[in-house]
Amino acid sequence: MPDSMIPQDARDVTLGEYLAARGVSRRAFLKFACSLASLMALPPSVGTAMAEAMAKARRPSVLWFPFQECTGCTESITRSHTPTIEAMIFDMISLDYHETLMAAAGHQSEAAREQAMKENAGKYLLLIDGSVATGLEGAYSCIGGQTNLSWLTEAAKGAAAIVAVGTCASYGGIPKANPNPTGARAVSDIIKDKPIVNIPGCPPIPVVLTGVLAHFLTFGTLPELDPLGRPKAFFGETIHDRCYRRPFYDQGRFAKTFDDEGARNGWCLYELGCKGPVTYNSCATVKWNGGTSFPIQSGHGCLGCSEPDFWDKGSFYRPLSVGQWGNAATLGGAAAVGVALGAAAAYAARRRQDKIAKGD
Amino acid sequence: MAGVSDRRDTAYATAILHEIADLLGQLAAEGRGGAIDLRAMPLGPEDRSRLEQVLAEGAVKASIDAGGPSEIFETVYPGVWWARHRNEAGDTVAEFIEVTDCPQFLRSQAEDIRDGCAGLRRLLDTSHPQ
Repeated sequence: MPDSMIPQDARDVTLGEYLAARGVSRRAFLKFACSLASLMALPPSVGTAMAEAMAKARRPSVLWFPFQECTGCTESITRSHTPTIEAMIFDMISLDYHETLMAAAGHQSEAAREQAMKENAGKYLLLIDGSVATGLEGAYSCIGGQTNLSWLTEAAKGAAAIVAVGTCASYGGIPKANPNPTGARAVSDIIKDKPIVNIPGCPPIPVVLTGVLAHFLTFGTLPELDPLGRPKAFFGETIHDRCYRRPFYDQGRFAKTFDDEGARNGWCLYELGCKGPVTYNSCATVKWNGGTSFPIQSGHGCLGCSEPDFWDKGSFYRPLSVGQWGNAATLGGAAAVGVALGAAAAYAARRRQDKIAKGD
Repeated sequence: MAGVSDRRDTAYATAILHEIADLLGQLAAEGRGGAIDLRAMPLGPEDRSRLEQVLAEGAVKASIDAGGPSEIFETVYPGVWWARHRNEAGDTVAEFIEVTDCPQFLRSQAEDIRDGCAGLRRLLDTSHPQ
């Protein structure tokens, strides 16, 4: 009998029964559901309905395959030094395969994977992190003698849905950066006949995955997605839209170096390369490390890590330029006055940086 | 609303207070309130200060330990409750203004009541076998 992270009989009970057996009260679970509803921008009243629905749901089998990845996505999602409600993500699912977390290794782990796929055919959720190597017919990235490409195409056949975790799986990410030596591709470039949700970010915000799974358990479907396959609840607005430094952008107050008066006063980081105006994510509201902070709050501009090809769009420290990050309409998501102001600030900042580079 | 600042830096607070007033009127007239998710809005420090000033603590305050500490108090306006939920690490995970006669989170949950009843009966059967 191959190892499994979850006892066999625990998969046959509802999520509510499973949590109750672990000493989690219904009130605690209600709090968890309400906080998730809040994060997903659902009305507060939905939290109660989510708790009721999720408590009755069976824990789905989840297979997590790592491809061309750095394990940063797993690190992000498992980073919990103390037990928190967010850590319940692993109680909500039956995680039947995860190379970093599972005790089994080698042939035992592969046997566990095959058994889970067979027993849950058509019903399991397939989570992928890392891009898919397609060069040399996929030989650049293999596990157990099989290419990631063949693993993906085989496992996708029996999956109810696929979740691409992180920017690499969602869009190709760092492995796909120029010159893309391994032929890295996104999951959605390979699989065309299954529902796929992209959760980009380098790494992604942990609770986004929790929210997607909660939505799946509550409603039986993936959440509403934007044109890039991202859940709108978390990727419906730009960082710029919800940034607490936005008033300074509107007032034309920009930090010009990382240690000037503007930086010390927390002014807008647009001139220092912030990609917030064209980056869709929840960093400005959900934040990181349990809501502690996010890059801009810590004094560094947004890198745009949840957008496709962010590695190949020029310096992180030069202001947005229309040519690399889109067109005027893209940059003009804010008020027209803000666009003009931002464009002027960007021009001035690039001139200033060029002078510094020349030693003027 | 008389006496509430309409300065730009408390604009969100003003909007929320108006919404609360509408919900409270609805609760009084029809018995149907609602809730406002404070984390859904980019409140600045001035907004938060204004809300805390207007919606000060009233007569009822409850501390709950369920998946981390939570604090719920009725404000000086009966029917308007402020709920702050934290996880075991102390991080705020949700914050609501609820307009209701009693927040759902304060009520004992049906399944917990049934489990508690069964547990008490087991204790009594063990202590005083018939």
